[in-house]
Amino acid sequence: MIWKEKYKIGVPEIDGQHEELFARVTTFVQTLRSDKPWEDKVAKVNETLEFMKDYVVTHFQDEEAYQAEIGYPYLEKHREVHNNMVAYVAAVSEEYEKEGYKEELMQQFGGRLLAWLINHVVAEDQKIAEYARSKEVTQ
Amino acid sequence: MSKDLLAPFSNAASQTFKLMLDLDVTTDMVETSESLHDNKEKIGIVIEITGDLAGEVMYSFPKDTTLEMVKIMSGMEFSEIDEFVKSALGEIANIISGNAMTGLSQNQLSCDIRPPQIVESREGANTEGCSIQRAKVKTAIGDVELNLRTGS
Ligand SMILES: [Fe+2]
Ligand SMILES: [Fe+2]
Repeated sequence: MIWKEKYKIGVPEIDGQHEELFARVTTFVQTLRSDKPWEDKVAKVNETLEFMKDYVVTHFQDEEAYQAEIGYPYLEKHREVHNNMVAYVAAVSEEYEKEGYKEELMQQFGGRLLAWLINHVVAEDQKIAEYARSKEVTQ
Repeated sequence: MSKDLLAPFSNAASQTFKLMLDLDVTTDMVETSESLHDNKEKIGIVIEITGDLAGEVMYSFPKDTTLEMVKIMSGMEFSEIDEFVKSALGEIANIISGNAMTGLSQNQLSCDIRPPQIVESREGANTEGCSIQRAKVKTAIGDVELNLRTGS
């Protein structure tokens, strides 16, 4: 994943978190896709998964707080999208533990996470910036 | 009427490809009688639609287009349609369809979508006895076909 300047929404804290998420998901996907046998990469995959579980929650909370601060009218809808993602991550990680850390589920998770994150940051989160600009309350 | 139902999907596809993949898109509406089949290996994603517009939308992605899309997103090379790639593609179809629902709601149609299902085949879906609308979304990395099937 390549972080681009145009993905910024103009709030340093949120932009920093997005950049960090991009970096972490990139590492996650690189590990997942490396030629090494699954036994050699499962520890690193699990570590990143654990980090992601906490980090997305933190990020979503901070981003929702910002939306509330500027009076973003689609906060509830956006929160629902965040909550759905948190629920998906939790469900996947529960199933993953239960079935004994198998590769296939993580490959599926990685593919969906990659596409979801790009779209969410590039399309959905950008709408927050557009609203802030329209109100001239950025910064 | 019929073309209006497909437009929210083709518009959503254009917008999504532009934003997520930095691809410029042109769209052709295709006559129902026209065959879209060629010999390329395709991956189909079917998403069921419920509500005011009941039916399903199928996206048909050529294999090389799919691999290129995942490469654009990840910055990594992909050579096979594996679980990772199928899941990423399913999510893209899900995103496009979700955005199309917003478009449909602006036409006073309230609908919902079911999770994407992946079908790997060289043939289109069996479309007997249904109303089908097709569009071809053209990009620099290949053409994606959209099939909207609504109840007969
Ligand atoms: Fe975000
Ligand atoms: Fe967000």
